[in-house]
Amino acid sequence: MAMETKWERNSDPVGIWEHRGKVALVGRGHSTTDRRWDGVNLDQTLGAYSMVAARNAMEDAGISPDDVDGVITSPGGQPRHGRFGAGWAPRPYFDPPYDTEDGLTYVTAEWFARQLGLKNVKYLNSHGETLWNLIGLAAQAVGDGRCEVCLVPYPNGNLEGRYHQTEGLEAGGPAQWSLPWGWGLSGQGFIFDQYCRKYGTNHDRMAPFVVQERKNGLLWPHSYYALHEPEPFTEEDYVNGRSIARGLSIFDCDRPVQAAACYVVTTAERARDMKQKPVYFLDHTEGAFTPRSLVQTLDESEEWSDILAQRAYAGSGLRPDDIDLFSPYDGFAINAQYFLEAFGWRGVKRGEAHDFYAGDISLQGPNPLNAGGGNMGTGRMRTAFITDSMEQLQGRAGPRQVGIKAEVAVTIGVLPGNACSLVFSTSPD
Amino acid sequence: MLGEHQDSSTGAVVKILLSFDIDGTLELGDPPGGVTIEMVRRAHERGYLVGSCSDKPLSSQRAIWKEIDIEPVFVASKHQLGDVRARVEADAYYHMGDRDTDFQVAQEHDFGFWWAHEAIAEPWLSLGTEG
Repeated sequence: MAMETKWERNSDPVGIWEHRGKVALVGRGHSTTDRRWDGVNLDQTLGAYSMVAARNAMEDAGISPDDVDGVITSPGGQPRHGRFGAGWAPRPYFDPPYDTEDGLTYVTAEWFARQLGLKNVKYLNSHGETLWNLIGLAAQAVGDGRCEVCLVPYPNGNLEGRYHQTEGLEAGGPAQWSLPWGWGLSGQGFIFDQYCRKYGTNHDRMAPFVVQERKNGLLWPHSYYALHEPEPFTEEDYVNGRSIARGLSIFDCDRPVQAAACYVVTTAERARDMKQKPVYFLDHTEGAFTPRSLVQTLDESEEWSDILAQRAYAGSGLRPDDIDLFSPYDGFAINAQYFLEAFGWRGVKRGEAHDFYAGDISLQGPNPLNAGGGNMGTGRMRTAFITDSMEQLQGRAGPRQVGIKAEVAVTIGVLPGNACSLVFSTSPD
Repeated sequence: MLGEHQDSSTGAVVKILLSFDIDGTLELGDPPGGVTIEMVRRAHERGYLVGSCSDKPLSSQRAIWKEIDIEPVFVASKHQLGDVRARVEADAYYHMGDRDTDFQVAQEHDFGFWWAHEAIAEPWLSLGTEG
């Protein structure tokens, strides 16, 4: 099984991507979305959903399994190749072939290729990370010639029980400074609090952004909210949300779900023969940063997102004015603003994000931020960022289709400390 | 009168407020809990002041009450239990839920409390009838 080293473009200066315009997204497929897997139904495992998504993606691209020669997956959809299975397993296993977590709570490329009967695969890689990094890895692998027609499944799971519980009676070492106050990433609220004090704003001013995202997300047929909680989400709802930590409301946190998507990535040449209009990769760039101390600060979030933006512009050769659609990760809603300001989309500078949210960010307006609804609008699928970018550029986003010109789209995720940006275009040039 | 019921031992008319958590407590929650809609309806019909205090958005809570055709006296976010006490006049206040958060907010705002698994026995029906 392949594990790429040094594929990431995370050293400055990154330079124009050598495969700019030579790799394309040509298909996408989604499963339905559940709140969680019940641990019993084998039709609702991450494996089952990945296969549904893959068949939908192949049909979308107009290819057959025999056309596929590469599979790259992120088995559990998490950073550092993390998987959910380890957290809940061991479990009483089912009969073979379900006597492993593979296909249940994570999905390796090997399992995936075997189950789909992919006869012509020459490249398998199960070391993808979160979605943006996974797609970036796939673009690089196709560009490098490791495969030509690559399926990229992205399973993202949620199991029974409570999420991200860290059990124990003691917190030792650095954890003593963070764990007693809850799950580590609730420290994102600390950064947001700093932001509000620095720029003279407040948490309630996030409301228009999250409300608009939910509106956008309800327009997806497979969105968690469209399927399970279709009632409108209002500004009253948002401002009355309970605080998880200072600066972080329950409605800033995305809803873990059980779902899978799959993408088809191929060369620009092969893309010409496929069903959909190609969406060309102009660039992928990555970054992983470490806080100076035990707690990430606002200065660091801004510095890291600045670096990520600079790399994206350097790698693609574009400028802020070239970007029609911008989709920054909102897994915590309070993070999207650091990316928005760093990229300077629509001229938004540091400290101006909340003013921007108060303006027209609707789908038919001039500034359709996160047209796909993000995680706030669709649940923690994450795939809305990629699929929406693709569909907007192809003109097939249906009720979500924006009113502005849609020729260049940028999306970035997940957090400023560990992110990849992807630049897509309707033109390879 | 709405919200009043007669204490069977003393004959006094008392208003008892019941605050329901939803997810993990009510059968319509996610995950579903053991307190059924029938139990809620029974409490409502017997004059208890019923409403919800949940982490669900207020709009979602109102939609649930509308779905079961009961007009709640209040809907609130979980940290707003104190506001419920301030807004709604009652002789006794009870909250029920499945999480530590439910217990904590109940304690903080001087509500009586039942865990979700205790609530399925409808303990409110015997309030005032003991001893």
